[in-house]
Formats: sequence, structure tokens, C-alpha cells
Amino acid sequence: MSQSKPTPTQGRLILLGINHNTAPIEVRERLAIPAERLADATRTLLHQPGVREGLILSTCNRVELLTLQDDSEAAQPQAKTDLLRFLHEYFAVPPHDIQPHLYEFREREAVRHLFRVASSLDSMVVGEPQILGQVKEAYTVARDAGAVSTHLEALMQRTFTVAKKIRTETQIGSSSVSIASVAVDLARKIFGSLYGKTVLLVGAGKMSELAARHLIQQGASSILVTNRTQSRAEKIASDFNSLTVHTEAIPFEALYEQADRADIVITSTGAPQKIFGRSHGQHFLHRRRNRPMFFIDIAVPRDVDPRMNEVEGCFVYDIDDLQQVAAANLADRSREAAAAENIVSREVDKYQERLQSRDAVPAIKALQQQAEQLRQAELVRSQSKLADLTAQQRDAVEALTRSLTAKLLHPQLTALRESTRKKDSE
Amino acid sequence: MSLFWLRVAVLLYGIAALAVLPAALYDRPRWRHIAVPATIAAVFFHFVSLAEMLNAAHHRLPVDTHETQSFLGLLLALAFLLVYARYRTVSLGIFLLPICFLLGLVPAFHPGQESTTFPILHAGWIFLHVALLLAAYAALFLSMLASLLYLVQERHLKQKSPTLSWLPPLETTDQIALKALLVGLPCMTAGLLIGSLIAQATVGASYFRDPKILLAFAMWLVYVAMIHIRRISGLRGRRAVYLSSFVFLVILTVWVANQFSAVHRFTAP
Repeated sequence: MSQSKPTPTQGRLILLGINHNTAPIEVRERLAIPAERLADATRTLLHQPGVREGLILSTCNRVELLTLQDDSEAAQPQAKTDLLRFLHEYFAVPPHDIQPHLYEFREREAVRHLFRVASSLDSMVVGEPQILGQVKEAYTVARDAGAVSTHLEALMQRTFTVAKKIRTETQIGSSSVSIASVAVDLARKIFGSLYGKTVLLVGAGKMSELAARHLIQQGASSILVTNRTQSRAEKIASDFNSLTVHTEAIPFEALYEQADRADIVITSTGAPQKIFGRSHGQHFLHRRRNRPMFFIDIAVPRDVDPRMNEVEGCFVYDIDDLQQVAAANLADRSREAAAAENIVSREVDKYQERLQSRDAVPAIKALQQQAEQLRQAELVRSQSKLADLTAQQRDAVEALTRSLTAKLLHPQLTALRESTRKKDSE
Repeated sequence: MSLFWLRVAVLLYGIAALAVLPAALYDRPRWRHIAVPATIAAVFFHFVSLAEMLNAAHHRLPVDTHETQSFLGLLLALAFLLVYARYRTVSLGIFLLPICFLLGLVPAFHPGQESTTFPILHAGWIFLHVALLLAAYAALFLSMLASLLYLVQERHLKQKSPTLSWLPPLETTDQIALKALLVGLPCMTAGLLIGSLIAQATVGASYFRDPKILLAFAMWLVYVAMIHIRRISGLRGRRAVYLSSFVFLVILTVWVANQFSAVHRFTAP
């Protein structure tokens, strides 16, 4: 962890938090802040001793306090104690319950951690897309509460840029890792756009309904439902009604007559025998004039004869197949995560360099002002001796003194910039 | 000067062919923003080169194999851009752009010497005849390529191995394959008709007794039959690829045969 000493005006970045790796759900849920209380919590954080700017990120997997502290406060271990006290007072959780799970990052490491969090490298499912939205939400709340100004503003903007860069330059989030989203991905590989596609649900089940909802989100416009119990089919169909899609409960007896209307069939019955055999596939495809059909078989024992996959135009995936694709995608994400970590490292370096050159600015300005004052004073002192000079000659003297001052200052300014850079990288 | 612009176009095809690899294989938008504009620029300079060549030709039309090759390259590049505009996929560029580059390479650096004298009245029609037939070839090639990609993607989906994410969806490749055929048909029909009329006017009726010419009309019939079969039966996948490949072979045979035909040497039989 970096222990650099910034200039007095800079402030110190401290990040304190718990996440799914360090704390069990029992602890995390006690510290979770509901969205409607986030602004209040942020304002309370801002009133803690030494806190100049602050932001709270609270998701189901993490609670993190990002603060910019006064140097005098932050130089002592007091800062951590103060933040811990805030957690204790705000959530009424004893410090000894939190402390073992708490991590702390300062300066450079805090920047790195923030970049990693926003880029979903620190998430439970690496590459999941929600976290960036949650970080943006936390930032918006903090900004509206007046808890974010120059330093955190610059840091957060950089964080969003880095997260976006990682999304576009690596494939960390491109492959699906849940069963439902893998099913949607495969459907898109077959049909391209899912707009206007028809989904048939055979049987009921949470996972099949979830997959159907994913397909609707991607544009599927029609849901057919069938079940051995007609009333159950009607109930499921009515559940989908609110999603502005065409829904229809079809009698189980009419299944083989109606199934070819569907582009995607999701089966999850508890039937001991197969419902769809190879010949059914051939029959459906013939009636569909070879337009492809995608069978997602979530049932165990299986509802669809795997030999149906041999029929040209029929694609059959059972639960194991979907899980295998999900596992392979997860492995891909891990490989991409390594590339993303490199980007984070480079971006942290760049950010720190930019910060360091900004640190030197006040000292440089002060030195320049002092030199200018001296120059002006010397000119005033020599005014009587220069009284006889023409306007042109006066301009020449003015230019000469300016040039001399600049040349004398140049080595000092270079040394100052260099020493700031060295001091901060120590 | 036309040669200079052709060289610029070939260079741009080369850049696009390289940029399209990361753009398609790793879905890198930055590379796509290089590949597509580079192809657009290449097509533009290729057109400039072609216009200058035709302008300079007057009644002497360069009909060397190299020039037709280069023109075929231009049509394939246009096909790539049309597919991108309609389906937002650059995957076909992995195959099409290197072909455009290679087709342009020889004419740009070793231009052919052959040219043919025409009555000035016919030069434009001859060019149209060649251009339309080449467009039909390009369309058929695109259709076959799309069908092959369909086959590869279908196999991956059937084997349940992680799918090749850079390949377009099955529905898209199927659409490209069918629409390319539909665009190719009027091109081939018009190309053959114009060719026949020119031959009738310059060579006379004996032209139609040339078996190679008759083969060309048979090719048209096969092409029409293929489109009919695809549309009626909804033929896709393996069988569609076999059919496309068969027609492609027939057309290739006709093209080679025509290189030896008396009419295309522009001497009376």
C-alpha cells in the first residue's frame, strides 16, 4: 500500500469496505444501505471529522466508503477509526463485528481498487455488467448530496472511462455465464434478432419461465404455454400477460399440431418418457419449410430425444449442454480478466502521473508570483534612473527583465516538478 | 494515372483485410472503424481508377484477364459493404477483403497488355455485358461463402462446442446467401441478353451455334432452377451448400470455356 505524502492541499484518498470475499451475507446485510437512504448516509459520512469528499457504494455484494481526507487527519490511524465509528453509529453494528471483515486501501491502491470494482474485476461473477451502473448511481447520489467535488469528480470520471475501455477492449462481458442467458445467446446465434419470434413453454418451472422472460426481453413477441393441467397453463400464460406479448395457452393434446408454430421450445415437464422424438423434429421442420427450431430441454429426465439434434434445422440443448457452455464462457472470462488487469495497472499509473503533475502546480505558481513581485519592485526602485528612456527603450528593459526572470526560474521549476514526481512515487 | 489509383485502392484493401481480423474475430469496434472506412475509400479509388481507364480507352477496351479480376475484386468489396450496411456484420470481410486485395494486386503492379478494338458504338455495351456477368459471379460467390459459413456455424451449434462467436447467426447467413442469389439473377439475365445482342450484331447467327455459348444459357437455366428450389423447399444448410457449389462449378466451367470461345477472341468462327 502506498504511503506517499501529497502536498497539503491535495488530501488523501482512503477506501474502506467489505465485500463478498471478506464478509458473509450475515454481515453484509447489516451494513447494506437501501437506495432511498443512500443520500442521507452520504451526507452523514461527509460530516465525519477530516472527510472532505465522500461516496458510498452499497450493493448486495459490497459496502464501500470512498473518502478524501484532510492530510492532517489522514496522516494518523484516526481516519480509519472515524470511518469505523461512522459504520458503527449509522448501522448500529458493533465495531468488533465489522473490523475482521474490513479492508482498507489508500491512495494508489484505492484508485486501483475502484477501477477494478467498476470494471467488474472484483465482482462475484467477473464481467457482470450491473456493477458499473451501481457505481454510477452511487456517484450521482453523492454528487447531488454535495459530497463530490474536484478530486473525487476527476477520479470518478476516470473510473467510468477505464471501465468502458475494458468493456470495449476485452471480451470480459461478452459471453453469458447463467443458464438462462446462455439459452438466449444460443437462440441469437440461430435466429439473429429474436424480434417477432414465438416461444413455446411445455410444462412449468422457474428456470424455464426465467429463460422465457429473457427471450421476451430480447424481443420475442409471442408465448405459447402448454401443460398437462390446462388451468396451470392458463395461469402461466396470464403471468406473462403483463409483458406486452401475445400469450396463448394451448391444450396439451394439441401440442404436436401446434408446436411447429414455435421457433424456440422450452420443455420442463416431469414426464418419465420423452415428449419429443426424432420423428417429431422431422415433422415440424417439414411443416416449417426447414426454418430452424431451437429446443431447450431443462427437464430431468429429459423431455426431448437427443437424437432430434441430428435432424437438420433442429437444435437440441439439454441442461448439461447449457451448463457446459456456461462453464466454458466462465473460463473465457477469466482469461479476459488477465488482460483487463493489465489495462487497470496502466490506467492507475497514468492517473497517478496526472495527479502528481497537478500537485506541483500551486508551488510553481507561488514561485512565479514571487519572482514577478521582485522584478516589479526592482523596476520601481530603478524608476528615477530610467526616467530619461524613450518608450521603446523602456519596453526593451521590460522584456529583458522578464526574460532574465524566466531563465533564472527555469531550473528551479524543472527541479520542483521532478521532485514532486519522485516524492509521490516513493 | 488509373494505375496509381488502383495501387492506392489495393493498399487500402490490404489495410482493410488486416483490420477486419481483430474487428471480426475479437469484436473490436476500433478495428471495425478502420476496416469499413478503408474499404469505402478503396472502393472509391478503385472506381476512380476504372473511370480513368475507361475514359482513356475510348474504343480500345482492356479485356485482359487481369482487368476483369480487378473488377471482380471491386464488386466483392461492394458486396462486403452492402452486407455490412444491411446486417452489421464484418465477418464475411475475413474472406472477401483478402480476395479483393489479391485480385487487385496483379493488375495494379503487372497490368495486362491485351486490349480489343470495338466499333465505338459497342464499347459501352460490351463493358455492361462484362460488368453484369461479373456481378452475377460475385453474387454467386458471396452466396456460396455465406452458405459455407452457415454450415460451419450449424456444425458448431450441433456439436454443442462453444460457438464461434465471430460468425453471423444462421438466419443472417441464410438471408445473405438467398438475397445474393436473387440479386445475381437479373445481373446474369441482363448480361447474357446484352452479350447475345452484341454478338448477333457483330458476328451474326453463327454465334448461337457455338456449344460454349449454349452452355452459358444452360448456366442461366441452372441458376434459375437453384433459386426456385431454394425458395420453394426452404433449402438450407448442407444441401444448400451442395447446390450452390454445383452451380458455382458449372459457372466456372462456362467462364473458362468462354475464355477459349471464338466469340470472346472476337474473330468470326
